[in-house]
Amino acid sequence: MQVVTSRSKKRFVHKQSILAYSLLLPSVAIIAMFMFWPFLYTIYLSFFDWNMISLTKNFVGLQNYIDVLKDPITYKVLLNTALYILILLVFNFTISYIFAFVLNFFVGKMDGFYKSAFFLPSFISLVVGSILFTWLLNPVSGPVAIVMGWIGLSMPIWSKSEGWIIVVITLITSWKIFGYNFILLYASINGISREIIEAARLDNVPLWKIFFHIIGPMSSATGIYVFIITIVQGLQFSFTPIKIIAQGGPNYASSNAIYHAYHEAFVLYRTGHSAALSILTMAIFVVLLIVEFKYVERGIYYENK
Amino acid sequence: MKISKKVTIPWHIIFIFIIFLLIFPIIFAIGTSFKTLQDAYNNPLSIFPTSPTLENYKVFFESLPAFKVTLNTFIIASVVTIFKVITSFLAAYAFVYFIFKGKNVLYFILISTIFLPFTVTMIPNYLVISKMGLGNSIWGVILPQLADAMGIFLLTQALRSISISLIEVARLDNMSHWHIMKDIVLPLVKPAVTSTGIWFFITSWNEYVWPVLILKSTENFTLPLALQMYISSEGGTNFTVAMAVSVITMILPLALYLIFQKYIIGTFISSGIK
Repeated sequence: MQVVTSRSKKRFVHKQSILAYSLLLPSVAIIAMFMFWPFLYTIYLSFFDWNMISLTKNFVGLQNYIDVLKDPITYKVLLNTALYILILLVFNFTISYIFAFVLNFFVGKMDGFYKSAFFLPSFISLVVGSILFTWLLNPVSGPVAIVMGWIGLSMPIWSKSEGWIIVVITLITSWKIFGYNFILLYASINGISREIIEAARLDNVPLWKIFFHIIGPMSSATGIYVFIITIVQGLQFSFTPIKIIAQGGPNYASSNAIYHAYHEAFVLYRTGHSAALSILTMAIFVVLLIVEFKYVERGIYYENK
Repeated sequence: MKISKKVTIPWHIIFIFIIFLLIFPIIFAIGTSFKTLQDAYNNPLSIFPTSPTLENYKVFFESLPAFKVTLNTFIIASVVTIFKVITSFLAAYAFVYFIFKGKNVLYFILISTIFLPFTVTMIPNYLVISKMGLGNSIWGVILPQLADAMGIFLLTQALRSISISLIEVARLDNMSHWHIMKDIVLPLVKPAVTSTGIWFFITSWNEYVWPVLILKSTENFTLPLALQMYISSEGGTNFTVAMAVSVITMILPLALYLIFQKYIIGTFISSGIK
């Protein structure tokens, strides 16, 4: 996602800034109105005590931040968030990276079919995904529980137990985002010269070494990008199954930082707490963003260049 | 490259197994939507209904303004797609073919919004849309979606693949920007624009978070919101109806994907997203 380079400095369309700005105007106006301005207003709201309905907002300084940081639920939610991130990364970063590598080099036939099939669930509503998996994984009457019953296993009552609920919700989210990440990584690895890999194979370099020492570094720009969107967008995607299946429960066990900010604002009507929590979450994302632009944009290794 | 079958066969088995896990739920939903509730409980493992019925679809169309709900979803997705393709294309054109002050900074700032979590914008946006009198209206759902950074990014990547000298020659011939866009650039990036458009359409069709904040009454619902009404954590008595609504919700995205998959996968692969 590097900054656009201007290759044609000399002749091309110079001194037409006004036309350029007017082409940009529609996008910039919408994004300013529904992204930048609300973002600033959320920062503003984080310093006020308000309930979205009352006519007056009381300025409370940093009190909302102090409240949020003192609230034990915040820490429970942050711990859940860390667990979400960990499982999301296993499925949508680690496994999709390995699959992209294997499919590029060791499968040959059928790789078109595999790509299409992996990507397909990305096109389906997460509400559909949530309802389907809720039924398939029903601990008593669902098909998975029945099959497990044949070999004497029983399924945990996941919707009522801490930990398991996060695992199931992450599975549903991964069902949705795995294919998209996979395609990006596949494309990146596909751009690496075959000769390098062939040469390494001829020298009998083991596959895991090829993966870590050649594929990893040479696809690192996409790798870091996928790593970050898995966290940033994965957490936001998991909002849907959290809300539909568990409403953040039982006892906040399925809530993450994103869902909790929604819960504070639109269920408890504490806009100040919600805003403060959102800004704190945002701060974590900003750190990731700096990593993204520092390493990806400057480039550890630029692909397809 | 020669890789022994000992390596490839286990991987084929793993891939087929994973694909089974990914695709089975979809097939299961389609099969179950034609079952009676009794049948669904008696034969939960079979994807084929013992006596196929359209009853579940009928219940949906009788208990909710289903036609209106489907139309709402379609209108929202279509309007969003048309506008977003236009706004993104214009912005991408400016970023790729113009030199102007603040270009790199502006691009950087716009693209950064991809990483903004929706929680930092949801309260003000909700308040603004309500103040505009668009709360509980499909236009309130549409308005904030008319432009976004992902669209600008995807189309910028596509436009950068066109040789710049082609445009320079056209400019030297005094061709207007309007004609360059329409007659040179657009035909060259048609596959990318088509698949970006399909991606926008499907994303908006499936959108849940923002519509659920805005839309309050059933006749203004979109399909994902209507589907949510049939959910209870135990599966519930409306389970087979929920499967029918699921099928209606996913049939159009699935069809679009199956028809355009080569384009779409090609665009994502060649966009070289980094």
